[in-house]
Amino acid sequence: MTDTIIEVRNLTREYQMGAELVRALRGVDMSIYRNEYVAIMGPSGSGKSTLMNMIGCLDTPTEGEYWLNGLEVSTMGDDALARVRNREIGFVFQTFNLLPRASALHNVELPLIYAGVSGRTRREHASGALSRVGLSDRVDHRPNELSGGQRQRVAIARALVNEPSILLADEPTGNLDSTTSEEIMTVFEELHAQGQTIIMVTHEADIAAHAHRVITLRDGRVHSDTKKAA
Amino acid sequence: MRLSAIPEGAAIALDAIRANKLRSGLTILGIVIGVSTVMAMASIVQGIRGQIFETLEIVGPTTFRVLRFFSTTPLNPDALPREVRIRPVLSPEDAEAMQDLPEINYSAIWVGLFERLAYDRTRTQLLVVYGADPRFMEVLGGDIIEGRTFTPTEARAGTPVVVLEREAADRLFGRENSMGKVIRVGGRPFRIVGIYREPDNIFQPPGQDIAAIVPFRAAERNFRYDETNSLVILVKPRTGISVDVAMDAATLELRRIRKLKPGDPNTFDMITSDQILGLFNRLTGVFFLVMIVLSSVALMVGGIGVMAIMMVSVTQRTREIGVRKAMGATRREILWQFLVEAATLTLLGGALGITLGLGAGEVLKNVMGFTTGVPIWSAVTATAVSIAIGLIFGLLPASRASKLDPVEALRYE
Ligand SMILES: Nc1ncnc2c1ncn2[C@@H]1O[C@H](COP(=O)(O)OP(=O)(O)O)[C@@H](O)[C@H]1O
Ligand SMILES: [Mg+2]
Repeated sequence: MTDTIIEVRNLTREYQMGAELVRALRGVDMSIYRNEYVAIMGPSGSGKSTLMNMIGCLDTPTEGEYWLNGLEVSTMGDDALARVRNREIGFVFQTFNLLPRASALHNVELPLIYAGVSGRTRREHASGALSRVGLSDRVDHRPNELSGGQRQRVAIARALVNEPSILLADEPTGNLDSTTSEEIMTVFEELHAQGQTIIMVTHEADIAAHAHRVITLRDGRVHSDTKKAA
Repeated sequence: MRLSAIPEGAAIALDAIRANKLRSGLTILGIVIGVSTVMAMASIVQGIRGQIFETLEIVGPTTFRVLRFFSTTPLNPDALPREVRIRPVLSPEDAEAMQDLPEINYSAIWVGLFERLAYDRTRTQLLVVYGADPRFMEVLGGDIIEGRTFTPTEARAGTPVVVLEREAADRLFGRENSMGKVIRVGGRPFRIVGIYREPDNIFQPPGQDIAAIVPFRAAERNFRYDETNSLVILVKPRTGISVDVAMDAATLELRRIRKLKPGDPNTFDMITSDQILGLFNRLTGVFFLVMIVLSSVALMVGGIGVMAIMMVSVTQRTREIGVRKAMGATRREILWQFLVEAATLTLLGGALGITLGLGAGEVLKNVMGFTTGVPIWSAVTATAVSIAIGLIFGLLPASRASKLDPVEALRYE
């Protein structure tokens, strides 16, 4: 049952800011296994988002290796990375990042468009994903006709629709009140129970408490890595 | 590039256009103007061209004209250059001499006049009146629907008789019978012997319907006219005789009766239908070139507008681009999305321009009194050009969008 999805070795990311070199990640090592539910914590500026972008294939490391499902991603080109994002990664953002003028359904269809799924199949998959997050009665609503919690659930449906290996959530409850946050955490628990691997960034301890493993970053390095007793 | 990106791009474009109606409208104005100008011009030129073709068809592609002097613009009769003055004025005898040739089927001298027609208290504006021969229908087409054309005797004698065109007759007499009545043509009395109906598609310059035909001799006797620009001899070869052979024979005959020595230059000009068409094509070619240059400027301005608006659009939608990339859109797909969006914008402008231009052309054609079909090729070209403008001017904004870094784009406020 220890099926490795993510294998990260000496992952380093540096930014050149004029004359100054900002070292956001200073050699991260970690492995994440199938159906884990991981929270990444750490103070602001510790490199959580940088790590998430790297894992999500939005960015490539300055140094080190990143293996995703046995494929080395760290050396891939732009188009290959786009394909990996499309198939393997589902993103959930703090600010939802839905297309404002598109319906919930169309928002969820987006990853399917880039997967080349068309017509009825696309709509069926998208509405299936929406009902998984309990929004089958909101398919034609636009983001501004939905509450914050509902918007985030549309975003989760969008992240799930391509059946990705990992669900990546960077501060998914950062823009939500505590009741709504709990609602979203319930959705995550359900998905996890159905076998979804989840990696979530948060700085709130009570949100992190939902995860089964907590990795803490400090100054671009793994500070602690604790698994909850099952 | 997946095909599904085209409808997706077009849908996004239409959505964006709907969201910013005024901005989009102003953006495509240049395209609309450029395309509609070309379309209107193409449809008018095509219309005139069609008319000229049909006229030449009626007159017969083999009919040629003998003129005192051929010039593309009318000569000032009061200040004729010497080379024109030394040439004799065309005469009925010239036409008759050619008529007797075995190669010639028809040869007659015509004079074109502008005169007012009047009967009782009704008076028309200046209308086209031809002084011709009894067989004028062989050249003009159309037919006599009442009465008769004038007799050879009337033609020779210059009897003041007139064949009235149906519309002119309606205007002067309404429902009243006009046969045998005496009307005034340019103030002179003429007796109506027949009513003539024009063929449907005869080429007429604006407002110049043929109103009446009188015997040439009668016109010569009753009216003053410009002997250089108004006189023409129309010549039709016999069937089976080529235009060249007939023209050679006619030239020899005219030189003979004008007693020209070998080596003397001709004292007349002969032009064929082909030459008239060629001349028209040259003139409209220049006209077209000017229109294309002018509309290119409009299209350029429109294209730059599209580029500017697409740049704004890319900046405004930086986050959207980031989201799309995060969802798996490749550079190529983002590039295509924005290219399709730009092309949709310009295609819309083009379609509007085509409609507007054809509408304007239709109105002008009606005002000028002729009808022909829509030049399909110009609509197709205009559509293609509109799309091309969108693709060309959309390239810079689209490539900028495609090169955005997904992390930066997602962080953009
Ligand atoms: N694009 C960038 N250019 C320069 N420095 C950056 C950039 N992105 C992040 N950093 C720096 O890297 C460090 C880690 O940032 P980040 O991963 O966003 O932290 P966190 O998400 O844990 O708050 C910070 O010091 C930040 O200023
Ligand atoms: Mg962060």
